[in-house]
Amino acid sequence: MARVVLKDLTKRYQGGTLAVDKLNLDIADGEFICLVGPSGCGKTTALRMIAGLEDISGGEVRIGDRVVNHLSPRDRDIAMVFQSYALYPHMSVYDNMAFGLQLRKAPKQDIDKAVHEAARILDLERFLKRKPGQLSGGQRQRVALGRAIVREPAAFLMDEPLSNLDAKLRVQTRAEIARLHHRLTATMIYVTHDQVEAMTMGDRIAVMSEGVLQQVGTPRELYESPQNRFVAGFIGSPSMNFITHQVSLDGGSPRLASEGSEVLLDPKQTDLLRQRQLKTVEVGVRPEHLEIGERNGSGLRAAAKVDVIEFLGNDQLIHAMASGSDMVALVRVDDSLSVGSNVILTAPANRIHLFDPETGEALAVA
Amino acid sequence: MSVATPAVARPAPAERERRRRWVPRPSRVVLNLVLLLVAIFWLVPSIGLLIVSLRPESEFTHSGWWTALTAPSQLTLNNYQVLFSQGLKPGGLLDSLITSAAITIPTTILVTVISSLAAYSLVFGRWRGRTAVYLLIVALLVVPLQMALIPVASLYKFFGSISGYNPFGTVPGVVIFHVAFGLPFGIFMMRNFYAGIPMDLLEAGRIDGAGEWKLFRRVVLPLGVPAAASLAIFQFIWVWNDLLVALVFLGGSPHAPLTVFLFDQVRELASNYWVISTGAIISIVVPLIVFFSFQRYFVRGVLAGAVK
Amino acid sequence: MAVRAKTLRAVAVPSPAAGAPSAAGVPDAALGRPAGGGRWRGHLGSLAFLVPAAIFLGFIVLYPLAATAVRSLFDQSGANFIGGANYKTIFSTSDILVSLRNNVIWVIVFPFTVTFLGLVFAVLTERIRWSTAFKTIVFMPIVFSLTASALIWRAVFDLDPHVGMVNATIQAVSNVFNPPGLYAGALSSGRTVASLARTGLEAGPNNSLLSTGTVSPGQAVQLGVTGVSPDILTMLGAQRAAIPSTASGAVTGLVWRDFSPSHPLAKGGVFADEDGLPGVTLSLIRADGSSAATTTSAGNGTFRFDNVSGGTYRVSLDSKNFQSGFTGIFFLGSQSITPTSGLDKTAQAILSIPLVDIAMIIAMLWIWAGFAMVAIGAGLASLNREVLEAARIDGATEWQTLRRVTVPMLSPVLVVVFVTMLINVLKIFDIILNMPPGSSQGAASTLALDMYNFGFTGTGDQGLASAIAVILFVLVIPAMLFNLRRIRG
Repeated sequence: MARVVLKDLTKRYQGGTLAVDKLNLDIADGEFICLVGPSGCGKTTALRMIAGLEDISGGEVRIGDRVVNHLSPRDRDIAMVFQSYALYPHMSVYDNMAFGLQLRKAPKQDIDKAVHEAARILDLERFLKRKPGQLSGGQRQRVALGRAIVREPAAFLMDEPLSNLDAKLRVQTRAEIARLHHRLTATMIYVTHDQVEAMTMGDRIAVMSEGVLQQVGTPRELYESPQNRFVAGFIGSPSMNFITHQVSLDGGSPRLASEGSEVLLDPKQTDLLRQRQLKTVEVGVRPEHLEIGERNGSGLRAAAKVDVIEFLGNDQLIHAMASGSDMVALVRVDDSLSVGSNVILTAPANRIHLFDPETGEALAVA
Repeated sequence: MSVATPAVARPAPAERERRRRWVPRPSRVVLNLVLLLVAIFWLVPSIGLLIVSLRPESEFTHSGWWTALTAPSQLTLNNYQVLFSQGLKPGGLLDSLITSAAITIPTTILVTVISSLAAYSLVFGRWRGRTAVYLLIVALLVVPLQMALIPVASLYKFFGSISGYNPFGTVPGVVIFHVAFGLPFGIFMMRNFYAGIPMDLLEAGRIDGAGEWKLFRRVVLPLGVPAAASLAIFQFIWVWNDLLVALVFLGGSPHAPLTVFLFDQVRELASNYWVISTGAIISIVVPLIVFFSFQRYFVRGVLAGAVK
Repeated sequence: MAVRAKTLRAVAVPSPAAGAPSAAGVPDAALGRPAGGGRWRGHLGSLAFLVPAAIFLGFIVLYPLAATAVRSLFDQSGANFIGGANYKTIFSTSDILVSLRNNVIWVIVFPFTVTFLGLVFAVLTERIRWSTAFKTIVFMPIVFSLTASALIWRAVFDLDPHVGMVNATIQAVSNVFNPPGLYAGALSSGRTVASLARTGLEAGPNNSLLSTGTVSPGQAVQLGVTGVSPDILTMLGAQRAAIPSTASGAVTGLVWRDFSPSHPLAKGGVFADEDGLPGVTLSLIRADGSSAATTTSAGNGTFRFDNVSGGTYRVSLDSKNFQSGFTGIFFLGSQSITPTSGLDKTAQAILSIPLVDIAMIIAMLWIWAGFAMVAIGAGLASLNREVLEAARIDGATEWQTLRRVTVPMLSPVLVVVFVTMLINVLKIFDIILNMPPGSSQGAASTLALDMYNFGFTGTGDQGLASAIAVILFVLVIPAMLFNLRRIRG
């Protein structure tokens, strides 16, 4: 187990493309961190630099006490689970798991013990003699995990290990990996494009976009106080609604209004806006925080017309047109609503996020 | 031949079946008949040679081999017995058979191993100029070996004058030449196969702690077995059947491979057709066995060799 | 966790770089460089895998390429630089020009024909149930050595109809329409029909024999023949010669082998140990040379023309008695299949295409059609069937689909097969060395064979041989560029 520190980690390809730009990340010993972002954001490149599969253009990677920039993957004491699993098709499940230890010339009985132990944990004991081609997708995935576990590395690197599984198996395996992490208390760096996966599994999440780290924090921090518009929109499902409002200083205190909607700010937000002298501000509110019907006190109030209703069982998803943009609200099923009806959508002030439309930075730093 | 993807393959047989049903019968009969005649045309020359080798010499100019079809009592294994009873006499048939094997087997092994190594480096190495080297290999695919015969003969003699061992006129001399000219195709074929191995596997191996040699031995080489088999079989038959290189480098030697043995017999003016036919059949049997044992691999090798 | 710690910790290998202080001590400034030293050691490691191949290719392929090019500029001894003189010799020596001519013929005729044949087979075999068997049979000759194949076809085209299948077949057909005479064998070893006359016979028109004297109805003639072997007579069931009786209104006679083992010197006169010639066709010839009647001799050699009107006649043994049947075409010979009379000697040598070229091309088609078929068949199998079906839906007939859709879609494969065969045939050697007999080998020779002959047989001239090799190499360059473009694209 080891702490992994990335310092100004940079990857610049020939031709100048910046895949990863000065990534700084301090991953604690035993922590489960998720690198998340849309495809092409640099998360996989970062992981491969940690693994030593990709040359480092700048900055450093520290595993434990060592800077490993110049070490080959074999010398970094890490294990990796690939998206394609990358099982050796010509070796049995047993040999796939034992291979790394065999290469390190570990004693035979020790290898045997370790492989059987890992197989027991992952429920693979029946398949040890089979070839990967004879296994189902889920079983292969577990062999790939087993191969990593057996090695007992300083850190586990996982590159979208669930994306080749079907939806049901993915949920199941997600829990299994989380359990495995608790059991091993190993440092795990987990790359995914799926924010749900990141939210459910990570101790902390690092959100990346276009090679740049956007925010690091616990799932809750990211959900409740996203530092910019990108993180706000990326984390949470369905995504946050954004409505641009004009700022007018009404007798010293700022007022936000847009066609059909307005926001009454609470005192803290009022202070923030007063400092910033913005002409417009982007107001973000999560669908699950919107309610139907008038309410008192500060907060958002928007008039909208229902467009589409998606029935989800206990809840329903309302798509509605408000101030020229589509708003989505997640509300309790309510029979009085129908397509075409006019509704008032409201949210309390403490559920409202304010962003600078120029930079995308969040205004409220609570 | 099977079609690439099942999605495409499924309608095809049905379509063919439909077509079969709708084509009027006589044309199908004619087609089968024509192809039957073609098949016979292709078979008969070889069968003729086989029967000639099984008839006594005295019958050869007296009546055509086809008379044996109605009088099978003519057939005898006598010619084979005579040739094999000569034993290991230098220049004899058995000696030639062994020389052919002594050339072909080491060449096949060396080409397969050296090509696999080089192909690994071309595909998974990270040194600059890999593409340039690959293109050079492709360019060398078609170089006529006539371009090398004279200088290599001199090179062998020069090597003999400084080391005391002259490979000219020896089996190793032939093997070295064959290996060199087998490599461009071998590397080309193995490279194309290795290029299809997912990079992930190599990376998994690197993370598992394998160095380049271990990656080659434990991961890439086992995965490349089908391609290596195709290459080996193709190379085996190619070298077994070579005449030119053996003639140049072993022409005057007492030990010559089967092709040279046959050539020498053709050059003799005596009526030795029984030796020629019997020797030719023996020279054919070995590649034929290899072909039928590994047909699929061989066909794949030949198709890959469609640039040679 | 506790369990794991015990079992797994046991195999934990000391971290390989744990004792290496260098990595941790690397100053930050150094980290900006693109690659780490440890990684590069691995890369160089794989570069080492290239070494054996590089040694072989360097010494046996690349160096010789240059050496041969240089050697081609030197004379026979290798000591004197003579510039392009060897190349000049090549293009001014009629023997080598003949080889070049043969290369041209091969290149023009063979690749196209074999590709076409392969396409036809590939398309047709898709429609039969036993296509695997067919493909195996046609593909099989590829595994034979070219030497063995050459010998197979040398036998197929043998001149002697008792050996060569082709001549045997032609003979069998020819004998039906144009049967050989019963006494054709008497003319073997260059004897003329006239030399067969012994008693009462002389040479007639058109290889026939004619009685020396005339004969009228009611008379008999005795016609003695020599040079017919007893074997033939035995085979034809001949009986002892009998003196013919005369009959009014009829011309009678005897035709017999006028040789008595008991009286070897006697000429004329029928002895008891002399045989008649059975089955001889005879004609009664009028004074103006026209035929009045024909008849055939009996087993004892007697014959009879009945109802002969008065006058004098002569009796002829018709030419068809001696006419030989089909004796074989020399397919492996150098006789020209192109008319070249009236040209000077060099032009004649260059322009007269020998028959053996055709025989060898047939043999090569037999060897390589299977390859073309399998390669094109593989291309055919990988075509998108739905496109072909779309063509059928669009109303194309099977033939139109083939011509307008299938073949164009196959054209990349067809080109590859064509080019492969082109390269193959440029270097053609084994077939030429083994199939034509010595007498026609010069006329059938190719550059590859010349290169071998000049370089490694007799007194030779390795400078000239090198120049020929260079020409072969230059001829292959377009194919090389084609391959490179195909690989890059």
